[in-house]
Amino acid sequence: MGAAIGAGGNSKHDVNVELNIVPFIDLMSCLTAFLLVTAVWVQIAQLDLKPKGKSRDPSTIKEENEKVVLSVLIQHDNIWLVQSRIGEQQAIPRTGDPAVYWGTFQASLADLKKGAFFVDRSDIELAAESITDESAVYYQDIITAMDIAKSVGFADIGLTDRDGLTAKPTL
Amino acid sequence: MPIKAAGPRLYRSIKFEHLAQSHGHGKASNISLNLTPFVDMMTILVTFLLMVFSASGEILRAHQGLELPLANQKAALQRAPIILVTETTVAVLIQDEGSAMPIMKDVAAVQSLLDNPPPTLKIDSLHEILKATYDQIHNNIAAEKGITKDELAACKREAEGLPPVTKSGGTVLCPDGLAVVQADKKTDARIISMVVNTARQAGFEKLLFAIKYSAEGAQ
Repeated sequence: MGAAIGAGGNSKHDVNVELNIVPFIDLMSCLTAFLLVTAVWVQIAQLDLKPKGKSRDPSTIKEENEKVVLSVLIQHDNIWLVQSRIGEQQAIPRTGDPAVYWGTFQASLADLKKGAFFVDRSDIELAAESITDESAVYYQDIITAMDIAKSVGFADIGLTDRDGLTAKPTL
Repeated sequence: MPIKAAGPRLYRSIKFEHLAQSHGHGKASNISLNLTPFVDMMTILVTFLLMVFSASGEILRAHQGLELPLANQKAALQRAPIILVTETTVAVLIQDEGSAMPIMKDVAAVQSLLDNPPPTLKIDSLHEILKATYDQIHNNIAAEKGITKDELAACKREAEGLPPVTKSGGTVLCPDGLAVVQADKKTDARIISMVVNTARQAGFEKLLFAIKYSAEGAQ
């Protein structure tokens, strides 16, 4: 029986109930062990993007030269923001605290998003230029740039290499 | 080593008389443990674990030499073929039809790709596997085989040129041409370019980059 009624004393009017909690503890122990083993502690998410460049299906390549395209190039020492057709470019030096230069990048991108060319658009091109091991750009830098671009409203991110960018920085 | 006499024993050498609540009988040794705090703690623990429990299972597996990058994004990861890039190797994790578990196929060594980069940024061995996988998935979708209702609906919307439907768990994308890139955060951008370029040439037009959620992002 799960409960023993009136087992607590000798009085006639004793209404104390002793619950048998052993099966409950057994179940709890098994459940705790199972849940601890299957628990996922790291929250994994995704960042989606559309690769740019040569495709398997040539019909998917679109020529869209009429509109201004915002290209971002991440280098070891600079982050470039270049607009095609109008030829405007901005370099953000990657020196000092990463939070500062990524903050500047975010502010610049937000300003561009508010501008006439991109206010109703969400597409952006992104490339990372890594030449040698000493001047390497890491995957985390690409993800950070994508994360910032998404946060300011550029959700449609196209990843390519430097040569695939519509607008490249000129020194 | 000399044999020593056995050490002290509970209730013999170490007295715990205060635990044994005798009710008038001198030899009573029943101990009534207070289980209430234990049950309380178990209940709280079980409730917490049930809240964090994921019934859908893990899509990604932990690998040595692979630490995911941080980002402030919460969109749930979708099941798709996985391109793995660790500190040393590039591999592909594919769900084979004849096997219950995904199969991992090593493709190339990272250092050899950096030393001798392919001129067209296409990793041939990776392209071969991805192309075969793409064809298999594409045919399955055409036959409506091995695909959920939501994914099928997403494919129909995609064919009509409509944006994907966003649900509470995130956006459901059509698995046709969808792949997941699970790369170490310190991977050189050249390797990422090669992987992305190869995937696109194999037909994977939609890539999902696996990240580790952080409220502060990478900054």
